[in-house]
Order: sequence, then C-alpha cells, then structure tokens
Amino acid sequence: MNSEKRERVVITALGANKPGVLAGITKTIAESNVNVEDVTQKIMQDLFALMMVTDVAQANCSFDEFQSRMQKAADELKVKIFIQHEDVFKFMHRL
Amino acid sequence: MSYSLEEVIELITAVGVETFDIRTITVGISLLTCADEDVDRCAAKVYEKVMRTAANLVPTAKAIERKFGIPIVNKRISVSPIAQIAGACKGDTVVPIAAALDRAATELGVDFVGGFTANIQKGFTRGDQLLVNSIPDALSTTKRVCSSVNVGSSAAGINMDGVYRMAQIMKETAERTRDSDGLGCAKLVIFCNQPEDNPFMAGACHGVGEAEAILHVGISGPGVVRAALANAGALDFGELSELIKKTSFKITRVGELVGREASRMMGIPFGVIDLSLAPTPAEGDSIADILEAMGLERTGCHGTTAALALLNDAVKKGGVMACTYAGGLSGAFIPVTEDASMCRAVEEGVLTIQKLEAMTCVCSVGLDMVAIPGDTSVEVLAGIIADEMAIGMINHKTTAVRLIPVPGKKAGDIVDFGGLLGKGPIMDVVRQSPAGFVKRGGRIPAPIHSMKN
Repeated sequence: MNSEKRERVVITALGANKPGVLAGITKTIAESNVNVEDVTQKIMQDLFALMMVTDVAQANCSFDEFQSRMQKAADELKVKIFIQHEDVFKFMHRL
Repeated sequence: MSYSLEEVIELITAVGVETFDIRTITVGISLLTCADEDVDRCAAKVYEKVMRTAANLVPTAKAIERKFGIPIVNKRISVSPIAQIAGACKGDTVVPIAAALDRAATELGVDFVGGFTANIQKGFTRGDQLLVNSIPDALSTTKRVCSSVNVGSSAAGINMDGVYRMAQIMKETAERTRDSDGLGCAKLVIFCNQPEDNPFMAGACHGVGEAEAILHVGISGPGVVRAALANAGALDFGELSELIKKTSFKITRVGELVGREASRMMGIPFGVIDLSLAPTPAEGDSIADILEAMGLERTGCHGTTAALALLNDAVKKGGVMACTYAGGLSGAFIPVTEDASMCRAVEEGVLTIQKLEAMTCVCSVGLDMVAIPGDTSVEVLAGIIADEMAIGMINHKTTAVRLIPVPGKKAGDIVDFGGLLGKGPIMDVVRQSPAGFVKRGGRIPAPIHSMKN
C-alpha cells in the first residue's frame, strides 16, 4: 500500500465542445503540480463532459488557490467547472 | 478508487438542478454554567460562552462548502432551555438573555439561535413562568432568537394549563409583531415529546441530557427525491419505497461526511444527523411535489396521508443506514408557507387544516407554518394545540404547532413572511368554541401504554 499522503480531488468540467478545452484545463492542473490519476471524457450532443481524479497532495498552492486558478481557466474556456474533494463521492457512492 | 462520470454528475445535478443542500449545521451549547441571580450578569455570561464556543462555526461551514461543493444553507446554534437558568434570576423578565443570544448570533453570522425554551409538560417552575411570560417581548425585540415550549409528553400527559397559556402567548406574540404580519409566531413552536437534539428551527434546543457542546447536521433534499420519482416511471409500492430509500441513503451520506468534517475542524463532538426532508419556497424543493409525483392529483386529496406515510418511512429506512447516529425530528416536514406547492393546494381548496392534522400523524412534526385568521380566539388556538399534542402523546412521537394568527387578516388573504419562511394563503379554522373543554384546568393524564416499566 502506498504510504505517501494523498489528497484526491475530483475535477469535473461541463460545457460546449471546442478545440483546446482539455488542453486548457490540464495546463492549469500541470502548472499547479497536481497529478492526474484518472480521466474520463465524453461528448454528449456537442456537450463536453470531463471528469478527472487528481492528487493535490504535492500541489504548489493551497486548495483554495487551486480552486481559484481552475475557476479562472474555466471562465476563459467558457466551461463550468467543479472541484470537489474525493470524499464526497466516496461517501455517497461507496460502502 | 475511481468513479464513473454518471456518479459525479449525479451529485452535481442534485446540487445544481434539484436544490440539494445541507440545510443546517447546528452547534448545541450548554448554558447551565451561566445561571446568575442578576439577569444582566447571566446575559453577559451567555453571550461570552456562545461567542467562545461557536467562534469557528461560520468559517468552518464555508470551508466545507468549498471543499465538497455542497451548499450549507444555515449555520445555527441551540442552547440549553433558558428556563433552566432563568429560575435563578431575580426580577420578572429574562428578555436580556434573549437579547444577548440575538447579539451573539448576529456577530457570529449565525442565522438563528434556538433554546428560549421551557419544559412544562407537568407544571411550571419559577424559571418556566419567567421564560413563558417573556416570550412575546423576546420574540418581538429580537430577530434571530427562536422559542419553543414543550407542553406534553407520552410519559407525563398534556399540561392543559400550559396549552391555554401558550395559546395566550401565541396571540400576544402575533399582536406584538403586527407590523410584520405576526412574524414573531414563526419563531415559536409548541411541542409534545420535543427532541433534545433537534438541529432545525424554530424548535432547536440543547437538551439537559446533551454534552457541554455538540454538533448536529440537518439535511434536506425534497427536490432530489422528486426528481428520482419523476424519472422512474411506473413502480409498485415496494419499488417506490426502495427508490426513496436509496436516494435518502445517498443524501444522508453527504450529511454524515459534512458532520464528521465540521466536528473535526471545530473540535466539537458530532451528535446526530436529522434525517429530514425540509422544503423551501424554491421551485421544486417541495414535499407536496413528491406526493404529487407519487400519483396524487393534488396534495390534500384522499390518499395523501398514505403517500406521506410511505415517504416518511422510506426516508428513515434509507437514512438510518447512512449515518452513525440519527436523531432530532427525522422525517418529512410539511410547513405550509415554506412549500410553494403545499400553498397551491391550500389556495385551490384541496388541502385543509383538518387534512394537515391527519398528515401530522405520519410525518415528523405537526401543524407547521400555518397562517390562520388573526381573530381566531385563544380557546380555538388552545383546542388546535391540544389536538396536535394528543396525537404526539398517544403515538409516542414528536408533534408540534407553529401557527401564525395573522393580525387583521382573514381566511384566503395572502401573507408573505419573506425568505425561507415563504408566502401563502391564510387557512380557515373551525369557529365553534372548545372553551368548556380547554379551560377545565390541570393535566390530561398520560396514556396507559406509557407505563412500560
């Protein structure tokens, strides 16, 4: 078992599909030194839905700051973004 | 561990579209250490203790909102029944204690503080008398203080002197807040079997069996249940119950997480989750909408009580599996003015006060946020309270009355209390007088099945 401290955060982006959305989001994630562990992406009737499970334990900024950076990126890309700690999904969907 | 896109979007939709939220984090604080023969000194101690204990409540709730992306609508405080410390005070008023609670709540950014409370199911102590007499003054001069008085229990019976006195107090409170359509009465609840760990207002208090400080969570999610039912198609009763249970489980789990996190951050033990469906006036955030999604043409039609019974039971069964400790009121609330579709049913003449009374036999509280004509007599008010208390006493459940006799208004008029308290029509009551009954004096004895020892 990995003994390193992990802090998993689920990032969800929803919006109109257009070139550069995925790149724009992952660029900010990389700049914050946040590690992407899992990616799911779907296009549903021209709508872009992206979900990433990330680890923010080694991030170079606070959780609040990371949320602000991601929100800024989402505003520029005109997509909706949700940054939620993994625990809320673990509690809701896993026994 | 990974998650599917559907699982993640389910929560985002619940919050963004179906108005799911954590209705309240409520910190309970014992004030039994604050008794003093000087009421102003007592009030100063109360203010200091509340400020100290709940200092981090609002920042904690905001941090949790950001971390999980779940709105926490209210931050509240409940305190020991003030009557318990009021008895020590000389003089004839404890309004300064209410003022101190109000000031602390305002400065902490807390929405409401509950616990201006007395337990008089068997009789009045000096502290109870002081507190009850101070209610109209306290509720008309403070904004955030809520009052509750327990007048009956399955073990003690119903204190009918207390019922009559509370009918007078209700009437006086309405008069004293005439300019805001009797709004003071929206902050006053009369109980049978009042829980000691309820996080919901106006009936929250920190019971005498509770710890020095404790943190409770009240959840809410009528919109999520309604959406699940609306998308489910034709289900038989077993499948219907199963679907509500699953939905209740999921939303309660979020409450459990929020409670644990808040408890850890504040260093205050986690008490209970109140497994409630609490509506708001917002479109779709309605218990009546759930009942109608179950197949009723309009809430209040025949079949409503059965539908509510199924809903209430399934919410508990799903929720109790999702949390460590359940408590408080735990069940569906049916506050009329706070539920837009309930109001529509009243306006259409389908939902009457008699049907509401029947519905309170199978849901968590009672006649809640019911606006009635301002000229309703004290005797009729006492009769309504007594009926509701009898339902609680006989059925070993909590029942409550939060009526607003709106001064100067009559049945059919519309009253608007604003915000979460909502807006709705004034409901008619039966005018024939129960005076010969309610004024006999004394107590209605406890029922035979209360003797379980």
